Parts: sequence; structure tokens; C-alpha cells
Amino acid sequence: MEDDTGRPEVGRSVAEKLITKDKVVILGGGYSSSVTAAVAGVAQQNRLPFLINTGSADDITEKGFDYVFRLNPAASEYSAAVEDFLTTVVKPKTVAILYENSKFGTSSAKAFTESCDKLGIKVVLNEGYEHGGIDYKPILIKVKQANPDVLYMVSYLMDAALLMRQSRELKLTPKVFIGGAAGFTLPEFPQNAGQAAENVISATLWHETLPLPGAMDYFKKFEAKYKKDTEYHGAEAYAAAYVIADVLKRAKSFGPEDIKQALKETDMMTVFGPVKFVSYGKKANQNKLSPYVVQWQKGNLELIWPKELAKTKYVYPVNWLKVWGYE
Amino acid sequence: MTVFLQSLASGILIGGIYALIGIGMTLIMGVMGIINLAHGQLMMVGMYITYVLFAFLKIDPYISLLVSMPALFLVGVVIQRFLLNPLMKIEAILPENQVLMTVGIGMVLTEIARFIFSSDYKSTTTAFSSQVFFLGTISLNAPMVIAFVIAVALTLILFWFLLKTDLGRSIRATAQDKEAATLMGVNSGRITIITYALGAALVAAAGTVLLPIFYLFPDIGGPFTLKAFVITILGGLGSTVGAIFGGVTLGIAESLGATYFGMQYREMVGFVIFLLVLIFLPGGLKRLTKI
Amino acid sequence: MKRSRVIIAFIALALVLFPLVVKSDYYQHLVILALMWVVIGGSWNLLAGYTGQVSFGHAVFFGTGAYTAGILANKLGISAWWGMAFGGITAALVGLFIGWVCFRLRGPYFALATIAAGEIFRLIATTWESLTEGMVGIMILQTFRSKLPYYYLALLLAAASMFVFDLVMKSKWGFYFISIREDQDAAESLGINTTLYKNVSLLISSFFTGMAGAFYMNYMAFIDPHVVFSLHYISIMAILVGIIGGVATIWGPALGAFIMIGVQETFRSSIFGLAPRWVSQSHALVFGLLVMFVILYMANGVVGDWPKIKRLFLRRP
Repeated sequence: MEDDTGRPEVGRSVAEKLITKDKVVILGGGYSSSVTAAVAGVAQQNRLPFLINTGSADDITEKGFDYVFRLNPAASEYSAAVEDFLTTVVKPKTVAILYENSKFGTSSAKAFTESCDKLGIKVVLNEGYEHGGIDYKPILIKVKQANPDVLYMVSYLMDAALLMRQSRELKLTPKVFIGGAAGFTLPEFPQNAGQAAENVISATLWHETLPLPGAMDYFKKFEAKYKKDTEYHGAEAYAAAYVIADVLKRAKSFGPEDIKQALKETDMMTVFGPVKFVSYGKKANQNKLSPYVVQWQKGNLELIWPKELAKTKYVYPVNWLKVWGYE
Repeated sequence: MTVFLQSLASGILIGGIYALIGIGMTLIMGVMGIINLAHGQLMMVGMYITYVLFAFLKIDPYISLLVSMPALFLVGVVIQRFLLNPLMKIEAILPENQVLMTVGIGMVLTEIARFIFSSDYKSTTTAFSSQVFFLGTISLNAPMVIAFVIAVALTLILFWFLLKTDLGRSIRATAQDKEAATLMGVNSGRITIITYALGAALVAAAGTVLLPIFYLFPDIGGPFTLKAFVITILGGLGSTVGAIFGGVTLGIAESLGATYFGMQYREMVGFVIFLLVLIFLPGGLKRLTKI
Repeated sequence: MKRSRVIIAFIALALVLFPLVVKSDYYQHLVILALMWVVIGGSWNLLAGYTGQVSFGHAVFFGTGAYTAGILANKLGISAWWGMAFGGITAALVGLFIGWVCFRLRGPYFALATIAAGEIFRLIATTWESLTEGMVGIMILQTFRSKLPYYYLALLLAAASMFVFDLVMKSKWGFYFISIREDQDAAESLGINTTLYKNVSLLISSFFTGMAGAFYMNYMAFIDPHVVFSLHYISIMAILVGIIGGVATIWGPALGAFIMIGVQETFRSSIFGLAPRWVSQSHALVFGLLVMFVILYMANGVVGDWPKIKRLFLRRP
């Protein structure tokens, strides 16, 4: 275990060290998409299997790297369930998209824009922003002017909280606020956004109430140990550890070829859902997972879609002014 | 029209805080002729002090101004006395030695903060964190307005200090003409220490009032250092009035830029104005206002 | 003089033999990074240390070089190695433009203008998505699996840059550069075209930094604007490398590059795993403290103040 500090060349240093000095047989991890991309290159070059659990930019599994496997779906697939929810429940005509200018943010927003075109939803505003702004009102007031049915945002934690807080201050009221996973599902989001987090909807990859073996158990254990809630990022890493353990058990030897073969043959159930690496479209060795939709209700993140799995009913339509304490 | 007014109002409010950040920098640049590249990092330290007082002693961020400002004043004294002033006596190839030292100081402050608090985001809430009031159709949030008012108040106090006290006059004299001031009997070593400390205290105040609006992590300083020198050059070196104009101008330009060019060009607007001013209006707005 | 030649020959031989003796990819990787920084630090030093124009914007040239290589591979589909040929040239062209804008200013104003230029370039690379792919970045496949080609290329680049810097500084140009640093007005009155020679210095400096950037693209095989146009990790690091080793010396920045990579890696790996884990968090802190210490007590860097250091250790109590 080593820390990659978020710089690609440091990520590379760590990977090189693990491969050549510590003689590891499989690499796992990768949170930031940029570092994951750099490490994927090292792994491929050294013919060492690399199991990614969070870095989600699409192109990482589209490079023909046959030693790189990804447990989480690609960024462009995060919003599939949200799209289903939108067309069934909200039936919007217009959408505004705001995204952080990062590898994850840009690829998610691009994918969502394409889906909207396909679904016949008009994108009235589509803008990126630099992470770390104080004041998002200049852009939010433009969104208000455009008056979309949906505001879709791809943001990390603090930007997500500020965007919602300032939407509330501007009385910006689309039919729904939707987050593209990342910051919107973290337990810190309602802590920082306060009232403004209520009833916000987000895409997610995991929820503790899903009928998956050990999901609730993992959630409770995590809560007991760290005194805070967990969500999909944690579940991904937890599941990745299980996959690696399973692979090492099944591999004929600890040689990279055998481990790669074992990874390819993976077909198991984890807290994160079924894991099986397949190749489709441009992607190779990609685990296919269906994403879900969650909503913050009374400070809890509840699974609301797909309908047959949801334990809680979605809140829609929302009277935002009432939720935000204006009325 | 609503869009324009809202954007303008946001820009002016944030500009007040920018001004407070810029005034400290302009004093330091005026008196010592150096760029303080640790300016934003000093603000970060002020913010962490505010955060600690809030998280552990439940002290309201605005009250902790009384702690964060004196604390950073002391930090400023130490930095100037033991790290920057000694460099004046050292013979070095590059005259920018002090500037490079501030780079090192900024880096060390950031890393110490990371060491103690980790890279996690921290934030505080106050009684009025989520309060909003409306001026016609324009929405203003309470912490932003309070921050603006405090910024204006501190600026007025600073003016009074610079204009009416002996110490303040000595600082102004040194800023205008260092050699003449020394000939007049001003102790320039002492003046530099007080100026740097004052600059640090002011930027700490900016950090403290910014915290309830924003959030905090160790690397927050860098971008604000950049903003601080943009403001200073915009307003004109050593000019406190200029720094206020510079701060508000930058706030408005960023805000309108974000609205009319796009959010992703927000930062670029500041730097482009900065380069244009540097080249075509050396001396900044000071040259236009003559103050 | 003889002795210094022996030392140079010894260092050169050691560096040539290093990857043949030390087979670990990890150590080879670290030396490759250090050699790349030798080029960047030396380039910065030519402009700042010798010519007195303290640039805070060398990331502009590094990034331009890296993106030249990246865009050639990404948009034109030709090998990123062409970037090694063109990266330096585009960086030098950008250098001319930066010089045209920033050389109107002196001292701290020049420094500030270069910071602004660096940030503007980073933001352009972020927003001009049709050309640069924006924050998605450019990812290519490395050409070689072995580290050796990269190692010797980096070594060659470092050696070539130091050779050129040495040559330039021993020529008439070098004399002009130093006189500009010492007193620009006096140089002007002696009939030296200061603007011209400042631009010459910048041109050479930006050319080699661009080459280093193109090398980075080929070697790391992934870039995005925050990585290669970084104020903190490129522009400021270039300065610190120069300061620690010693400005206005040929060997200073080279030594500084190795010190920087050495400190960073030693502490990041918790002193090779011997120290507790929290030590790994302190690598940047230690480096920052080292910078402060050097500025305070060795104003001319390790190489510049070498006689002073030698006296300190040789003096018997």
C-alpha cells in the first residue's frame, strides 16, 4: 500500500516501485482518473495486471490495454438509470448541464449530452467550470434565466455543496436537481449543503439496501468502525479486495499471465454486485454494472430507482421553496 | 437585467473580500518592494485558526477575528524578523532572494497544515450561514454581506491608522520613498516588520470572514496569492485606495466574465486584465485616480 | 582544471553505466525524472541565474513542448517522437511571444507577468478542447517496454543542454547575459542590445524546456493541463531546483535536480520503509524547509557556496 498523492509521475513512481522493488503480482486501486491513466500505462508496459476500482474516465479501458481490468463502470454509463428515471417520471423537455473541468467531469457531461440528444431532451446550457470557485451565482443565474426542467451537475464534494446552497439562495427551481454521482452521494454533502441538499437526486453505483450478499453487513460494519456512513466509493474498494483475493486463489501461479487469465475468468458476486470482465464496443476487460438512482430524503440517501429495487418512493414533484424553508 | 444585476452584486460583494486580501499585499509590496508569494498561505493559516476555534471551542467565526488577526500579526513579525530581514544583508546573485524565500515559506505553511489537518475539506457554519435576503430580485446571502461590511470597516480603520498616527505616516513615507524616509529618521527595519505583520493580520481577517462562505483545505492559499498580486498591480503598488478599487474591479470582472463568457473563463479574465494593465497602464488604477 | 575534468568524466561514466548495473526499473525511473529536471532547471538558470530574468512561468514552455508531442500523436496520428523535434521549436516560438510581452517589464514585474502567462496557458489548454482534449488529457502508448531507451535519451538531452549552456556562457553572449543581470542600464549604455540578448537567452531556455516537455509526453504517455502547465509543480519547482543547487553555475541546477528527486522519493517512501508511515506525508515539507535553509545560509546554493561548505567541514576544532 502506497500513497500516490494525486500526481501522475508520482503515481508512476509508486507503481514502478511496487512492481520492481516489492515484486507485487497484481496492482489494485486508482481513485483520480489522471493518475489511474498514468498507472494503467505502467501496468500494461510491464505486463502486470491492474484492477481499477474507481478511476472512471472512459478512455482508460478503450486503449486496448489487455492487462487493465476495471471493476467500476465507465463514466459515460453512470447516468443510465437516471435517464430511465427522467423519461419515466419527470419527462423533461429541457436540461442544463454544469460540470467540473476534470477528466471525470468532462467525460460524464459529454456522455450525458449525447444521451439527451438521443432522448430528445433539449440541452439549453452546457458549461464547464474550474474546480474551487467561491461564487457560482453568475452561472446559476444564467441557468435560472434559461429555466430548464432539469439541472444536471457533475461536481466533487465542496463544489456540489456550494452549487446547491447558492441555487437555494437564488431560488433556482428546476423540476429536479440531479448530480452525476461523485460529490453528490458522499455523506459530507448534506453536512456542507445543509437544507439545500434535501431531495437532490444523484446517480450512484451502489446502495446498502440493494439485494446483494453482504451489502448491508458491510455498511453497518463501516458505520461502526469509522462512525460515519459509506457509499459507492468505499464499496468499490471493498469489493476490489475480494476480487483480488478470489483471483489469487484461482490463479494457477502468481505469474502475470496466470493472474491475467484468472481475472478474465472472474465471475463472482460481491457487495458491489456481480463482477465479470467483458469486452464490448471499444472497451476491453470492463465490468458491466447497472447504476442506480438515489435521493436525499430527510438527510438520508435513499435508493429510489429502478422501481422494483427501491425501498423508498421518490419525492417528486418537489416544492423547492417549501423544502428550503422559504414558505 | 436581473442576470446583470445579480452578477454585478455578487462581484461587488466578493470584491470587498478581495480588497481586504489585496490591501495587505499592496502594503508589503509598497514598503518592501517584494512580492509576497506566501500571502494566500497566510490567509490559509488564519482560516485554520478560525476553524479550530469553531470546531473545538464553538467560537463564532466572526468573534475569532479577535484571535486570528493578532495571531497572524505575530506570525508576520516572526517571518519578517527572522526570515526576510536577514536576507537584506546577504550578498546573493539574484535580488529576488526575498521573493523566493516567500515561496519556501508558503510551501512550508501549506505542508504543515496538511500534516496537522490532512487534506480533507473543513467548513464552518454560523447562525446566519444559510440566511438570505432579497433586494428586489437580487439575492444576497448574509455571510457574504457581513464579510463585505467587515472588510469595509477594517479598511476604514486602516486608513485612519495610516493617515493619523505617526507609525502610519512612517509606513506611508517608506512606501513612497524608502531612502528619503530613512534620511528622515524612520527605522526601516522596524517599519518592514510592522508592515509585514499588518499585511498578514489583514489577510487573516479576509480568511476568517471567507470561511463561513467557502471551505478550507491546505492548498487553498495558492489561488488567493495569485489573486492578491493581480489586485495589487491593478490598483497600483502601495496604494491602499488602489487596492480597494483593484479588488472590487477584479470581483466584478470575474463575475461578469463568468456570466457572459462562461464560467470556465472566470480565472482567465483576471489574468488577462492583469497582463494588459501591467503593459499598458503601468502603475495601475493609481495613475488614473492620482491617490 | 585537470581535476575537474576527471570528475566530469567520472560522473558521465557513472551515469552511462548506471542502468547497466542497477537493473531496477524503479531506480532507473527516478534517475530519468532527475535527468529531465536537469534540463528544466538548467534552462531556467540560463534565463534567471545568468541573465537575471527570474521567470515564474517555465511551465508554459514545458507544457507547450509536451502538448506539441501529444497533439502530433493525437490529431495527426504520427509518432509522438516527432515532438522531440518540434516541441523545442514551438516552445521557442511561444518563448518569443512571451518575451515580446514580458520583457517590457523588469524585476518583480517581469516575474509576475510570467506567472500570469503560465496560468493563462494552463487555462487555454483546459478550455480549448477541440485541440487539446481539455482535462480529459492525452494518452498514448509508450514505444518501449524497457527503460533503457528513455534513460539514454534523457541522459543525452541533459548532457546536450549542459554542453550548450556552458558553450553559450563561455561565448560573447554569456558576457552580455551577465552584464544585463548586473546592471541593465549600464549594459544598454555600453551598446549592448539588451532586449535582443534577453530574447536570445529566453529562446535557448524555452527550447530546451520544450524538449523536456516533449520527452515527458513520450515517457509518461499521459498529460493533462494541470500536470504540464502546473505553476506549483513545474514553474516553481524549476526555480527551487535552481536555487538549491546554485544559480548562475552550470552544475548547480543539475545537482539541485538530483537533490529534489532524492528528497521527494526518500521521504515519500518513509525513508525506504524504515521510518513510520507518517514520514511519507512530509516529503514536501522537508523540501520546503530545505529551500528556506539554503536561501538563508547558502545564498548561492550548494554548488555556488561549495567553498564555504568545504571550509565548514574541513575546519578542525
